[in-house]
Amino acid sequence: MAKTTLENLKLGIFVILGTVLLLVAAYLIGNRQNMFGETIPISAVFKNANGLQNGNNVRFSGINVGTVNKIEMVNDTTIRVHMIIAEKMQQHIKKDAVAMIGSDGLVGSMLINIVPGKGNVTTIGPGDELRSLSKVATQDMLSTLNVTNENAALLTEDLLKVSRSLTTGNGTLGLLLNDTEMADNLRQTLINLKNTSEQANAAILELNEIVRKVNFEESTAGILLNDSVSALKMRNIITHLETSSIAIESTAKNLNAVVAEIQQGDGAINTLITDTVLASQLKNTMRNVDQGVERFNENMEALKHNFLTRGYFKKQEKEREKEERKAQKERQ
Amino acid sequence: MAQTVQATKNIKQFLGETGELSYFAGRFFKEFLKPPFELKELLRQCYQLGNRSLVLVLFTGFIIGLVLTLQSRPTLIQFGAVSMMPNMVGISIVREIGPVITALICAGRIASGIGAELGSMRVTEQIDAMEVSGTNPFKYLVVTRILAATLMLPILVVFGDLVALYGSALVENLKGNVSFQLYFNTVFDALSYGDLVPATIKSFFFGFVIGLVGCFKGYYSKKGTAGVGIAANTAVVVASLLVFLVDFIAVFVSDIFYEL
Repeated sequence: MAKTTLENLKLGIFVILGTVLLLVAAYLIGNRQNMFGETIPISAVFKNANGLQNGNNVRFSGINVGTVNKIEMVNDTTIRVHMIIAEKMQQHIKKDAVAMIGSDGLVGSMLINIVPGKGNVTTIGPGDELRSLSKVATQDMLSTLNVTNENAALLTEDLLKVSRSLTTGNGTLGLLLNDTEMADNLRQTLINLKNTSEQANAAILELNEIVRKVNFEESTAGILLNDSVSALKMRNIITHLETSSIAIESTAKNLNAVVAEIQQGDGAINTLITDTVLASQLKNTMRNVDQGVERFNENMEALKHNFLTRGYFKKQEKEREKEERKAQKERQ
Repeated sequence: MAQTVQATKNIKQFLGETGELSYFAGRFFKEFLKPPFELKELLRQCYQLGNRSLVLVLFTGFIIGLVLTLQSRPTLIQFGAVSMMPNMVGISIVREIGPVITALICAGRIASGIGAELGSMRVTEQIDAMEVSGTNPFKYLVVTRILAATLMLPILVVFGDLVALYGSALVENLKGNVSFQLYFNTVFDALSYGDLVPATIKSFFFGFVIGLVGCFKGYYSKKGTAGVGIAANTAVVVASLLVFLVDFIAVFVSDIFYEL
């Protein structure tokens, strides 16, 4: 009898424990699908369900907040997805939140991601419809990848041509890669460039040294650079130069006008310049004058030796000597 | 010609046995619903079939969980999907491996035990004696055993599943640094009632089939003491085969009710 009681006790423990475990498992599974907590229904409209199924998770900011309850085909381009959301999360989800269909990892099951909105709008209520955003479907991604692949194939083909040309030595780049003489020249050029740059560097250092040595405070350059009074004077000089240049310009204009008038007009100067007959007459006249002066000098020389006028000339010579002596004394 | 005759004989024997088994099952339901109910014997059988099989089921379940995870791990790592291990192992164990392995273990232990026990009772004419003494042997021996097997197997499956998941979690914890909490969270995330309910329902059928075949083979054992061994042996073989058949039907039916 005692044995039977012990067996029954053990059996009771076994059965109760087994049943409790089963119920706990059922509760945990149901709880994950929001079957036992307080929930609110909401919905979102999509163009493509992307394989979403009833029971798929709904996440808000990465947290599981509900499950997909029902997927309803409204018309050929509209699918309404009904969801149930845990009531305690209602206060966090605003009406401007956006629902997107995504997947749990690369190979995971589909789910709905609710992305929080930005505005200060009210929270969602039972039966509200969230805005939706259709992400790029896998097929579209594959199509884009296909185009990219085709482009990549074309690119590699071109690259192959380029690399072949390079290896065979065609074109400038190929020549650069293959021509040893050019390589030597380039190397030499580089060496020269290096030397030049070293020299330039040295020259710059030297210049720097010279500049450093210049006494900026007392030299002309220093005065020019630092003295404000000199700068003012320079400015005045430049202003005067400007004024002078304007005056010179106007004078030059006037001269030009005078020259033009001389060239065009019938005045004496123009006649003197342009009239060749007058010039020859003038030459003759000058020649006659020369002859006359020569003869006049001869006459004057004769007058110096004439006994009537000799005294006058001597007297003049004496006075002149006297004045010269007087001037010498004053200088001494 | 002789082969055809033998084949015909075998087919006839198979069909005859199937008919007898069906009749036996029908008689069970008839006797099960009719009082008086042998509650004490039922509890004794529940203890014998349930509690006594628990250690075996726990051990087997633990090993299965361990091995399944260890074997799947390299392949999942190859695909970069090792994080899906709890989902995969959880669904496999709860939906299929747990119930079937537990049922096969029980087919080996319970069906053979019942077959041998009832067979020896038949051979030693204890069953006939019970009939003579006015006790309904079918009600006392068969109904209690089938009922006990039917009720105990789902509970054994629950224990088996739990221990198998624990074994799997242990491997993941040691090899993949996955905490037990994360492992079981992921498992329950992956599971749905579509996995748990059909598995639990089919476990009842597994238990029923095991008890039924064990009792049938033992109750109708013939050919003296040699018949006891044959009864035990065929009980295991037929029960195991029927477990797979019931599993197939269960999957087929649950596929209609749940989108697997």
